[in-house]
Amino acid sequence: MSLKGYILRRTIYIVPIMLAITLMNFTLINVSPGDPVLVRLGLIKCETPECYNAAYNKEAIEMGLLDNNLYTVPWFERYIDFVNDLLHFDLGKSWSYTQAGEGIPISKIIGDHAVYTVVLNLLSFVLSLLLSTAIGVVSATRQNSFWDRTLTVAMLLGYSMPLFWLAKLLMLVSYYLFNFTGVANKSAFNKPLILNPMFYKFLILPTLSLTLGGLVFMARLIRSQLLEILRQDYITTAKSKGLDRRAVIYKHAFRNGLLPIVTIIGNSLPGLLSGSVMVESVFGWPGLGTIFLEAAFMRDYPMMMATNTIFPFLFLIARLLTDITYVFIDPRIKY
Amino acid sequence: MATVDKDKKAVEEEGPILDETTLKEIESMKGAGQWSIVWRRLKKDTMGMVGLYIVTFLILMAIVSWFLLMYDKWLFNNVALTRDPDNPYSLANLYVDFWLPGMKQSIILFQHPEWQFADQVKLPPSLQHPFGTDKNGRDMFSRVFFGATISMALGFIGQMTTVIIGTILGSLSGYYGGLFDDLLQRIVELLYSMPGFILLVFVIVLFENTNIPGGRYAVVVIFFSLISWGGTALIVRSNFFSLKQQDFVEAEKALGAADMRIIFRHILPNSLAPLIIIITLGIAGTIFTFAALAFYGFGDPNVVSWGDDLNRWQNDLMTYPWMPMFPALMIFFTVLGFNLLGDALRDALDPRLKD
Repeated sequence: MSLKGYILRRTIYIVPIMLAITLMNFTLINVSPGDPVLVRLGLIKCETPECYNAAYNKEAIEMGLLDNNLYTVPWFERYIDFVNDLLHFDLGKSWSYTQAGEGIPISKIIGDHAVYTVVLNLLSFVLSLLLSTAIGVVSATRQNSFWDRTLTVAMLLGYSMPLFWLAKLLMLVSYYLFNFTGVANKSAFNKPLILNPMFYKFLILPTLSLTLGGLVFMARLIRSQLLEILRQDYITTAKSKGLDRRAVIYKHAFRNGLLPIVTIIGNSLPGLLSGSVMVESVFGWPGLGTIFLEAAFMRDYPMMMATNTIFPFLFLIARLLTDITYVFIDPRIKY
Repeated sequence: MATVDKDKKAVEEEGPILDETTLKEIESMKGAGQWSIVWRRLKKDTMGMVGLYIVTFLILMAIVSWFLLMYDKWLFNNVALTRDPDNPYSLANLYVDFWLPGMKQSIILFQHPEWQFADQVKLPPSLQHPFGTDKNGRDMFSRVFFGATISMALGFIGQMTTVIIGTILGSLSGYYGGLFDDLLQRIVELLYSMPGFILLVFVIVLFENTNIPGGRYAVVVIFFSLISWGGTALIVRSNFFSLKQQDFVEAEKALGAADMRIIFRHILPNSLAPLIIIITLGIAGTIFTFAALAFYGFGDPNVVSWGDDLNRWQNDLMTYPWMPMFPALMIFFTVLGFNLLGDALRDALDPRLKD
């Protein structure tokens, strides 16, 4: 099969998975205890039960739980409605993010904040990939040397450090050294972002934490992968041919070790997204992660539903891209 | 003849193929069981032994603190009236102190984790309070000591439930295959395309008001194990695929053994090694996940645990660094210990994986 056909097939395959995920989230919200209308109503002040009932019914109709004749809408109809809205990029209105008494449309909120998550994640992903490659190569080629031992112990310590605490410690260190905690404030997000120096200043610490978090995971992997390959016969052959050390490592060893590394990196992407939720929240970085955690605190169901649709979607896209990179890395793979 | 001479010469010059220490090792392992070999390999691994010491110390600490607190409740219920209001240390309340002849005041080692002294708030670490006191006047050393019970127990219980669910589903799907296997694969794929932490937060927020005994942490443990059994199931399944082709399973089948007997008495004990590795490394991950949940406010603030203390004082890191620092350090050491032990066990159980 051609590459185009493969990509098309994989892209179509995302659709049933996304349907299953939204169905799962939807069912979970439905079977959870508690009345969402009561959550939504909050601290409404009403003197008479009639007033309260009217407010309750109005809210329930607005949320789509009751139809206009006050009959309960069955859950599958609501699910079909939800999917229909989703296909039109309409994710409903937020309960907790309001403007002039009206909920802000969620697609607008997500559109405004997704860029911060994407910038942070892409930057730290690329950085940690580059750094962990360097560390892995240094460790594997000089096995049991001073540098290898130091780096291995450092990686192990970093691996055992909870990511949120690493972020907090970085904050503490930066506070003592530069009197700068890195907690984002409004001046960092003045548009246009590209020309805003404050944006880059406040980007440093979150990126550093997330990079370190991914780095410790990937460097261990690249080291053990390279060590295994450096023991193979064709490496000995390449060395005995008199090839340059650099050529042996990067042309022969590294390219063959790349495939399993790409697989595991692809599988670790949800970890990266979870990590970005943690780091964003510590530094007050207004990405999707902070939005999600705040929505979870406020029990903002539509917002949680939306973020729980967006995160798996981002992950599935990323995994599709990793699968496509296989073809370029390994010429033996043909579709 | 000439070639033989040459070979002999080579052997004399270079020595035998295996050096003496390796030969001795092979000699000493003759007749030893699998587990004693694993133990011998583990003992040689310095980092692994450090991990084992850390883990043993923490488990002992968790058990001792649990017993002390049980004993305290019994004491408190019976002798609640013997309080001397002028002397805060005479309260009928748990404390373990240390006193030598000639010392004016005994050093309080542990006091009740919930006990608050209004005159001892925000004290930095000192001899009387090795880890300082928090904003409510509680001794951080005692909080950290008694927090070990819940933190460790949650890690163990969460990971064991996960592994049990994963093992049962994985072994059934690996042994029978077919439709059940396909279905399981799809479910695992579905669970794995959600970032785990996000899904966990989502579910816990929805279900945190469920009325079940054990409070919020019971909800956390239940949903954690319902969400994260996928990895174990996949590993057990692939193990079963290779083991069910082996001769001993054929022999068992020919003898007329029931499927359940083959699965649980014959194949499962043979795939114990990966399970032990999953449990050890998984406990580290589970403790980390629960600490993270507590850190972001999805724990139970009424419980004495490291994660909840960390959550409570996380914003005081700049002003009173000792308050969040010590619970965080304990989480770090626990995760480190289990990671070291797990890595060493993996090398000892399956030396082919070693670097």
